[in-house]
Amino acid sequence: MDDWKPSPLIKPFGARKKRSWYLTWKYKLTNQRALRRFCQTGAVLFLLVTVIVNIKLILDTRRAISEAYEDREPEQDYDDARGHLEPQQHRGTGPRRVLDVEVYSSRSKVYVAVDGTTVLEDEAREQGRGIHVIVLNQATGHVMAKRVFDTYSPHEDEAMVLFLNMVAPGRVLICTVKDEGSFHLKDTAKALLRSLGSQAGPTLGWRDTWAFVGRKGGPVLGEKHSKSPALSSWGDPVLLKTDVPLSSAEEAECHWADTELNRRRRRFCSKVEGYGSVCSCKDPTPIEFSPDPLPDNKVLNVPVAVIAANRPNYLYSPQMITVFIDGYYEEPMDVVALFGLRGIQHTPISIKNARVSQHYKASLTATFNLFPEAKFAVVLEEDLDIAVDFFSFLSQSIHLLEEDDSLYCISAWNDQGYEHTAEDPALLYRVETMPGLGWVLRKSLYKEELEPKWPTPEKLWDWDIWMRMPEQRRGRECVIPDVSRSYHFGIIGLNMNGYFHEAYFKKHKFNTVPSVQLQNVDSLKKDAYEVEIHRLLSEAKVLDHSKHPCEDSFVPDTEGHVYVAFIQMEKEDDFTTWTQLAKCLHIWDLDVRGNHKGLWRLFRKKNHFLVVGVPASPYSVKKPPSVIPIYLEPPPKEEGAPGAAEQT
Amino acid sequence: MSRISKNVILALFTLSSSAFLLFQLYYYKHYLSAKNGAGLSKSKGSRVGFDSVQWRAVKKFIMLTSSQNVPVFLIDPLILELINKNFEQVKNISYGSASKCKFFCIQRDFTTFALQYHLWKNEEGWFPVAENMGFQCLKTESKDPRLDGIDSLSGTEIPLHCVCKWATHAIHLVVFHGRSGNYLWHGHLRLKGHIDRKFVPFRKLQFGRYPGAFDRPELQQVTVDGLEVVIPKDPEHFLEEIPHSRFIECRYKEARTFFQQYLDDSTVEAMTFQKSAKELLQLAAKTLNKLGVRFWLSSGTCLGWYRQCSIIPYSKDVDLGIFIQDYKHDIILAFQEAGLPLKHKFGKVEDSLELSFQGKDDVKLDIFFFYEETDYMWNGGTQAKSGKKFKYLFPKFTLCWTEFVDMKVRVPCETVEYIEANYGKSWKIPIKTWDWKNSPPNVQPNGVWPISEWDEVIQLY
Repeated sequence: MDDWKPSPLIKPFGARKKRSWYLTWKYKLTNQRALRRFCQTGAVLFLLVTVIVNIKLILDTRRAISEAYEDREPEQDYDDARGHLEPQQHRGTGPRRVLDVEVYSSRSKVYVAVDGTTVLEDEAREQGRGIHVIVLNQATGHVMAKRVFDTYSPHEDEAMVLFLNMVAPGRVLICTVKDEGSFHLKDTAKALLRSLGSQAGPTLGWRDTWAFVGRKGGPVLGEKHSKSPALSSWGDPVLLKTDVPLSSAEEAECHWADTELNRRRRRFCSKVEGYGSVCSCKDPTPIEFSPDPLPDNKVLNVPVAVIAANRPNYLYSPQMITVFIDGYYEEPMDVVALFGLRGIQHTPISIKNARVSQHYKASLTATFNLFPEAKFAVVLEEDLDIAVDFFSFLSQSIHLLEEDDSLYCISAWNDQGYEHTAEDPALLYRVETMPGLGWVLRKSLYKEELEPKWPTPEKLWDWDIWMRMPEQRRGRECVIPDVSRSYHFGIIGLNMNGYFHEAYFKKHKFNTVPSVQLQNVDSLKKDAYEVEIHRLLSEAKVLDHSKHPCEDSFVPDTEGHVYVAFIQMEKEDDFTTWTQLAKCLHIWDLDVRGNHKGLWRLFRKKNHFLVVGVPASPYSVKKPPSVIPIYLEPPPKEEGAPGAAEQT
Repeated sequence: MSRISKNVILALFTLSSSAFLLFQLYYYKHYLSAKNGAGLSKSKGSRVGFDSVQWRAVKKFIMLTSSQNVPVFLIDPLILELINKNFEQVKNISYGSASKCKFFCIQRDFTTFALQYHLWKNEEGWFPVAENMGFQCLKTESKDPRLDGIDSLSGTEIPLHCVCKWATHAIHLVVFHGRSGNYLWHGHLRLKGHIDRKFVPFRKLQFGRYPGAFDRPELQQVTVDGLEVVIPKDPEHFLEEIPHSRFIECRYKEARTFFQQYLDDSTVEAMTFQKSAKELLQLAAKTLNKLGVRFWLSSGTCLGWYRQCSIIPYSKDVDLGIFIQDYKHDIILAFQEAGLPLKHKFGKVEDSLELSFQGKDDVKLDIFFFYEETDYMWNGGTQAKSGKKFKYLFPKFTLCWTEFVDMKVRVPCETVEYIEANYGKSWKIPIKTWDWKNSPPNVQPNGVWPISEWDEVIQLY
């Protein structure tokens, strides 16, 4: 009782007194019936209001929930399969610490299996000859690169050295030979194999079989080799089985600063191998394009379409760039993602050349769809290197396409622009043959003429040959530079083989001078160009036609002169003498390129050298009457020159 | 005793329920303001000063976009409408002098901005910066519809919508993509599996319920509530476009299946016809757009779009539909000036009007005028030699945008119903012989024109 503290209000009363106070109060109330009624009704009403508010709240909440459910509905028909796949892949790689690797090498078949999964199998005939190389991630065991180097053929070993040097230290390397891999395996390559710890690689002989597993810069994990007993036979098939211990993930990754660019880089480098310094831990190659801005850039908003197949390395060289990849190859897409470009894949629908042609069509259509405001598109191929001033060259010349209807394209490539035949980076020509290889296409030409008529897949046509046909060209011409602004470095493309490339592309001149100011661009317009040609021909010295044009002394040892030679050309399509002349000048002679109304322009010994076909060319009028046009006889039994037979 | 306890219990109930009620009222107020305060707090909210969450969120967003060089523009219908109404006022107020926050402070959940994708240079780097500034962002992506029309291409996904939340206010950024036909397109806001559906009340968004198409707007910079924002130069036109902006994509996949089954006609004649028909359609669209007359692809042209995403090579004409209430007397003159002489005119404005113009290369342009009844629409036909009238019935339809031969044009949104009314259930099978008097399942005889009216209702040129 002592602890009880009365409230101040009822202080004077004890507990008992409180009770009596209550009774008094109650008594009073019972006496005032009306007041009591009123209080009771008030309380009931109040309760009712509470109930109503409660119900309203419940209803509102339910509506909100059902709305959320309705929001969910449309998503149900949308299957997002990709999201489910990825985590599983990651889960699978966690616990295993050792990889079980099988490598097989023989005359007609190679295969590589990692933990029972075949990652390489090649038993196709007449294909896949040489050394197959596979790179595995040392932490996850993922295949990061797969290449084959036909070291039976020249220069392939150089590519292999380049590739192996690009592989980061610590990666697991697997090599296996199919058929023959030693014929053009030179000392540099052999030395590299030795440095990897291989015993048999450096002494690999004619038709030997060889299988190798090792860590780059680390121990050899297994090697088998079988010598070929005789020139005419192959070594016995070898099967190498070995265990590859996995290292921890930290070892396999670099510690780059956490930026958006490096996130892209990390994603790429954990997946793909063979791109060298892009994935270097210490000093990685920048993956940002920040070219110097061009003054008065007219090609800033021109989209660039890069047409690629599965030659991913080539993409690794320098916002409107879209890369179109023929086929579902992952690696080119990875490279595209590394550079933050837009990549589009094209599932092959037909074979060989027709496939290239369909790929081109799809790529061009997509480019103009994606950039509906663009009036032009720049078309590049993945195996082209472009000159420092490629975009500056286009920026200075692109207005010609708008202003001159008689133009068909602007191309960065001069078919006849070899080291010994091209000189002036500021000089432009008009030519009747479309060279391609880095060119600008006008949207209206594509949309109105080319796209509707584009050869269908069953026609099996080369797109460029089709584009050069008179039905498509309709008398129009292309503008090209004297010194090419693109360089074709592909070796094994769909259209190329090693010899062909060596003979026709290697000695091509490629501009290395930055920001060249082009000369008198407007003189490339139709009428102005004729004036220019007539001026040049009037100024030109006629060469001594008694000499053989293939002789070195045909063009005097001067510099900066303009010379003209007249060759026989009976009709517009008579190129007999030209083809022979091209052959001895060591320029493109497989078909006729670079002509403008029976006139060819090139450089000889730093002199501008003009060749006019008489009498077919309108410029024949410039021939002094005394000069007899040169006639060169085609070599006998040449199948490719039926026109020549008619003339003799 | 029982009486006492009854009263006590009642009092106790009353007490506890009043406590409940207080709590609930408090909660309910919060709930309402979090959901949408537009209706509730008009009297209170619109006069809130520059410290309101909305205004601050918008300010932050504008700071973010201008620092990152992201050229966003305001497309919020509510605010644009307010700006449009008070345009003179907006123009006259210079920066900072606005005394009251009138536009961005209205209490609501969203403010909507838009962006042209090709001008978004730093897409990836943008989000971390936004997050640093306190925005919580959500981005939806989808495959690029511009590649759908091309065989077997698949590209990287394109962003369609971003919703960035700052405190209780969200910024909805609609990503516009330029498309062939010189218009802007935005996608459907689709919530994929992993997206938090309660992130913001998605239902309330004004864009993204359907894909939409808009004319490419010219832009201007204005200062609104002390913030420099870019808005369409003609806000009124943009506002008018919004309710009719729904876009439907051509069914490229089905079209490919169709061509696998029936093969494309790639003869020279077919290609020539398709080319002239395309040019005629472009000319007609240009002429009608200049007059401001709504039209849509009808009959064979509509079937070609829906079935094969191209012009049916053997169709011989281009068919358009126009609501009779949109008819203008200078249509005929305008077409003549565009080089399309009138070929025939059947019916009159009050009944069964049909115009036909002669295009180049023997391609005809037919314009059918549609009349609306309470539960159906119809257009009329007239047989020249007998004066017989026909009536073609269609279920009611609305109009949507689509892309056809590099143009933004309208088609009935309820396309299948429209085509089935015209061509029956077997419209998927190409038929080369079509008799417009007997073949359509929706044709009805509609009497004969009185001979006295023939001069007016049957005009052949």
